Amino acid sequence: MIRLGTLRTVIRAGLKSNFGLSVLKYRLFREKKDRWLVPVIGLAAAGALPALYGWVLLIEAAYATLAPMGQERALLSLGILAGQSLILLFGIFYVISAFYFSRDLEMLIPLPLRPAEVMTGKFAVIAINGYLTVAVIVLPVMIVYGALAEAGPGYWINAVLVYLALPVIPLALVSVAVVVLMRFINIARKKDALILAGSILLIALVLALQITLGRSFGGKDPGPGAEAVAAFFTSPNSLLNRVGAVFPPGIWATKAVAEGFGGEGPANLLLFLGVSIAVFALMVTAAERLFYQGLVGLAETSGKKRRLTRDEMSRRMSSGRRAVAAVFGREWKIMNRTPIFLLNGTLVVILIPALFVLMTTINLGGRGDGPDSMALLRALTSADPLPVILATALFMTICGSLNGTSSSTFSREGAQFWISQVIPVSPREQAAAKFLHSYLVAVLGVVTAGAAAFLHVKAIHLAAAAPLALVAGVLLTAVGMIIDLARPLLDWANPQKAIKQNLNVLLAILAHIGILTAVFFGVRAAVKAGASTPAVLAGLFVALTVLSAAGYSALLKFADKRYPEIES
Amino acid sequence: MIELIQVSKSYNKGKVKAVDDLTLTVEPGEIFGFLGPNGAGKTTSIKMIVGLLKPDAGQVRVNGFDVVRQPLATKQATTYVPDTPAVYERLTGLEYLNFIGDVYGVPREARLERIGKWLEVFDLSAAVSNPIQSYSHGMKQKIVLTAALLPGPRVMVLDEPLVGLDPRAAHQIKEMFREHCDEGKTLFFSTHIMEVAEKLCDRIGIIHKGRLVASGTMEELRALDRREHSLEDIFLEVTGK
Repeated sequence: MIRLGTLRTVIRAGLKSNFGLSVLKYRLFREKKDRWLVPVIGLAAAGALPALYGWVLLIEAAYATLAPMGQERALLSLGILAGQSLILLFGIFYVISAFYFSRDLEMLIPLPLRPAEVMTGKFAVIAINGYLTVAVIVLPVMIVYGALAEAGPGYWINAVLVYLALPVIPLALVSVAVVVLMRFINIARKKDALILAGSILLIALVLALQITLGRSFGGKDPGPGAEAVAAFFTSPNSLLNRVGAVFPPGIWATKAVAEGFGGEGPANLLLFLGVSIAVFALMVTAAERLFYQGLVGLAETSGKKRRLTRDEMSRRMSSGRRAVAAVFGREWKIMNRTPIFLLNGTLVVILIPALFVLMTTINLGGRGDGPDSMALLRALTSADPLPVILATALFMTICGSLNGTSSSTFSREGAQFWISQVIPVSPREQAAAKFLHSYLVAVLGVVTAGAAAFLHVKAIHLAAAAPLALVAGVLLTAVGMIIDLARPLLDWANPQKAIKQNLNVLLAILAHIGILTAVFFGVRAAVKAGASTPAVLAGLFVALTVLSAAGYSALLKFADKRYPEIES
Repeated sequence: MIELIQVSKSYNKGKVKAVDDLTLTVEPGEIFGFLGPNGAGKTTSIKMIVGLLKPDAGQVRVNGFDVVRQPLATKQATTYVPDTPAVYERLTGLEYLNFIGDVYGVPREARLERIGKWLEVFDLSAAVSNPIQSYSHGMKQKIVLTAALLPGPRVMVLDEPLVGLDPRAAHQIKEMFREHCDEGKTLFFSTHIMEVAEKLCDRIGIIHKGRLVASGTMEELRALDRREHSLEDIFLEVTGK
């Protein structure tokens, strides 16, 4: 059915295009342009090491707690299930986007390829993305477990096989569902609505998972740390048991790895791999029969043809906005009309605080009930409000600024960046308009987070935290924009690349974390030096204001320098 | 008026010379056709005129202003139509035209009149309130052309403006070219269609491997060789077949 040689070619082309390998090779070795990226990425990876180390320590602690109860396999199950759940959740998004909305389909479909070959090629690229996404979660669990259990070769060989097959079942199931949906409902012409609906479904699933997890943890109130993890695993109502019951492949995979070549290991491995192959075959069959049929009419977008009357035309004609207002309006419209931008920018700043409210009120029994972390914070800070003010400001800052709005603002223009370069509006004015837009999104996040925090924090503390968050937002927005302006990612066909797969967004988040860490150490030094709470807050506000003004001014200067250099 | 004075531009750290010591002047009221084989340096030259690329050497002047040193003054006088109509797909046609009108400071009455006229000419009136993403390639090309005409620029620079247009729209564009230049304005465009260049242009320049290998009126180009021949023959001759 599928020609392997052809499939290999399709996969190779897909990987090169998805990860920009050919372009990267050309830029690194031929143009020698992006060499500075190598140490920067190395530095960013080094920055992530402490978090990875923390994860390893947590796995070790959980293993040490579970092993005496003979429940250590639950740890392995959790790792595998977490990996598969993540692949399933992100899969919905990636599958819809890659199978139906990526522009390379227009090039692939006329080629002498079978539908199943095109779809399997795309499936392989998503699966490789899946391996990379879950590697940091699943691999440490498998490695630490194997090392602590002093596992034999059977464990390691089966672990490799299970890891390789890990994305197959969730992705193939999602693919079949999406292909069937597209064929029979054929709402492809409403593709924006489809992406948005898919994404909201994804968020709803994450939310549901969070609440279920929170209930499993919080319901028995087991106390903090490894004991909570142990109680979670051994509880008959735990998520693990429930998920295990409805999703047996997770349990088969666990047994296959844990028992290696002995006991039930080989049988479970065969079962897991067999089911993976069967589900994959089902997907290939569905692809061959239904994939192209769902694609019919894909390139069409609805548009009613209606001639405007002279009056209507006159009403809709702008009466001459200033250039900054015009650029701001363009940013606002494009951001909010592109589902992926909307979701990762404007919506995320509302969703995170909403998630926070749900988690803190549903999981932890609401305000003042039980030994929740907020109550703990309140108890600790009854004498000194400084930590609660700073924590609230930090929460508001994170909700407002730790997203891709500012750090993808130039990248989002993509192939249309030439317009910004030829219009008679100075780069600094354009940067100012873009800043206004990004900052407004940050302010929306700060306000929503403030409303969420108001459930737990006194109004006076909130009033003290808000100015700090608002002024920090200026600095973080300017830094995010400077990072994106240094190397805007303009060469993309799928908007997802401009914001979700944009290295600038990651670099900006790392820079933001760095700035917030520096602020933390600065405050700690001031407190240790004996500064009073009002003095610390006033000092912090002044310092952030000065830094923000400097950041904004640097952004405008950099825009003047950088705009003419960017070759679009 | 457009002046390129000893302009050079190379890529890949000087390894690929795209434009080599190019000097040419396009006078007000003139339609200048810029011809050349693929990869000859046409688009690079055009991008330097509109400020999308910075020359490595030499000077580009538009209406007497230096493109690098006085970018806003040159941009205010120039509009540009690229070879591929990459425009804001999420805006409606009218929103895009309003954006261009705002940034060029076109007064409301002038906007109404010009937009009305060109939408009618290009048969876009019924689609202007739809998102640009619903437009065909030709319609996108037409909306970019309408946007380029909206400010009433002194200088228009167009890269392959006739590609993707139906015969009626192509005819109207050619009419517009003449009309534009009869008002004393300058028009610079690249094309592969010899017939168009031959019939429409006041002067023609042929670029090959980054160098201007021939330039002048049709009569001057014909005078380069004793035989009577078409622009296509001259093109093949000077670009080495």
